[in-house]
Amino acid sequence: MDERRDAAVRLFHVSKSYDAGSFALRDVSLEFARGEFVFLTGPSGAGKTTLLKLLFAAEQPSEGQIVVLGRNIARLGESAIPPLRRRIGVVFQDFKLLQSRTVEENVAMALAVVGTPRREARAKVFSILKQLGLQHRRYHHPLSLSGGEQQRVAIARALVNEPEILLADEPTGNLDPDLTVDIMDLIASTAIRGTTVVVATHELGIVGRYGKRTIRLDQGRITEDKKAVGVASGM
Amino acid sequence: MKRIGVRLAYFVRTAWRGLRASPVTSAVAVMTIGISLVLVGAFALLLQNMESLLDKLGGELHVTAYLEDGLTQGQQQEIAHLIGTVEGVESVSLITKEEAFERFRRGVGRGSALLEGLADNPLPASIEIALVASRRSASGMAMVVASLDGLDGIDDLASGQDWVEGYMRAVALLRGLGVGLGAILALATLLIVANTIRLAVFARRDELEILSLVGASHSFMQTPFLLEGILQGALGGGVALLLLFALFRVVLPGFEFGLELVLGGVSPRFFALGESLALVATGAGLGLFGSAAAVTGGWRT
Ligand SMILES: Nc1ncnc2c1ncn2[C@@H]1O[C@H](COP(=O)(O)OP(=O)(O)OP(=O)(O)O)[C@@H](O)[C@H]1O
Ligand SMILES: [Mg+2]
Repeated sequence: MDERRDAAVRLFHVSKSYDAGSFALRDVSLEFARGEFVFLTGPSGAGKTTLLKLLFAAEQPSEGQIVVLGRNIARLGESAIPPLRRRIGVVFQDFKLLQSRTVEENVAMALAVVGTPRREARAKVFSILKQLGLQHRRYHHPLSLSGGEQQRVAIARALVNEPEILLADEPTGNLDPDLTVDIMDLIASTAIRGTTVVVATHELGIVGRYGKRTIRLDQGRITEDKKAVGVASGM
Repeated sequence: MKRIGVRLAYFVRTAWRGLRASPVTSAVAVMTIGISLVLVGAFALLLQNMESLLDKLGGELHVTAYLEDGLTQGQQQEIAHLIGTVEGVESVSLITKEEAFERFRRGVGRGSALLEGLADNPLPASIEIALVASRRSASGMAMVVASLDGLDGIDDLASGQDWVEGYMRAVALLRGLGVGLGAILALATLLIVANTIRLAVFARRDELEILSLVGASHSFMQTPFLLEGILQGALGGGVALLLLFALFRVVLPGFEFGLELVLGGVSPRFFALGESLALVATGAGLGLFGSAAAVTGGWRT
């Protein structure tokens, strides 16, 4: 495993409760190295999405400290959040695509934010869509795409900026088995290039296939943290 | 530098897209700004022209001293000479009875046949008194009139004093009305623009949510809305300018008589280029403030 000293993500005794009395996350401490590939599993309501949201500052922890790419999330001022988010790609469980824009425009939103010139942006969007087998759909609107295609658009938007951290919430939830393998291979390849990848999923089949570090959550607590096995196993 | 250009292009594109996305609300905002500015602009035009009349009259203001009948030419010249030495008087010119009659006849024009029957010349001789520049005002004239009053041989003194005072008061009143109306309309316009932009923000809340999630700063999200407000305001200013010009060219000539009454001999003048630009800039400024009021409330992600 990559043992570089500066971790991409560190959580110290983090708890999160949306409503007084109930905890979505409870006393979670963990560390992700740069370039590490981590699966987050657990039953529905275990706190997977909540953990991801804390990492890109969409939610604030109720207790504990979170350090992402060297920034303490809890102490981050309002104006420091956008620059941090530009270094993190997120695939949302509900995609969050804009129906009024084409596939190309949706993916390009992540580039507009960092000020990429239009022509360069078009080339980058085309390239990432091609890797995801979607280049022929670039002028379509999300509603005219299948669920799996929309999911891939969401992945394209998260990856187009070559983020330092990729957070993917059920990124294969709507894909058929063949596509699932293709997409997961693509996501895994970004980790090889140095991106820290966190994939939340309850599909244990995928988790087993890659043999990566797997953190299991249950009712907001870490119940298991299985280290990666040396080599990815076959089916 | 390149980054700034890329950003600017993005902001303009996004603002333009925003305008087109809600053509009806945008058009209503543009027309509201336009109509407000037409009203304010019409006031400004009227005032500007009335003031230029005042300026013009300033140079022509004079006091007329009507002389008693029966004075000899020599006596008349003596009085004229005396008046010429009074403080505030620049020059004097003597109009004899005959000259006065001749002027009157020419002034009446074709109706002069009626005058042929007149046995006696009823017009008095008079002295036209031009004032030094510092006395060419209602109060200045009053001072000169006061020092001429009671001079031997003078029957009556006439000056445009009352008229000028009234006119100046009318201009001041109109200016006050214009400023008041302008303030009210500016406030109304701000509210309408702010409301339009607030609607636009609401209509694009999904886009804003996603932008925020991919790391857009507040200013990145707000700038297109500010630009949209500026665009609406500038378009409104342009509409106002066109409407005013149309009114000026098409409607005004129909009111020649009324115009003659308020403006005297001055031919009406439209805004110069700088003033036209100022009108458009006022619209743009109103648009900017209105949209700024709408977006600086801060939005939650
Ligand atoms: N915005 C919210 N307000 C209140 N409660 C919330 C909110 N988001 C999540 N929760 C609660 O927090 C707990 C954890 O939710 P979370 O979405 O993190 O689970 P999850 O592991 O992602 O589940 P799933 O597999 O169904 O996506 C749940 O009990 C959920 O009801
Ligand atoms: Mg979830």
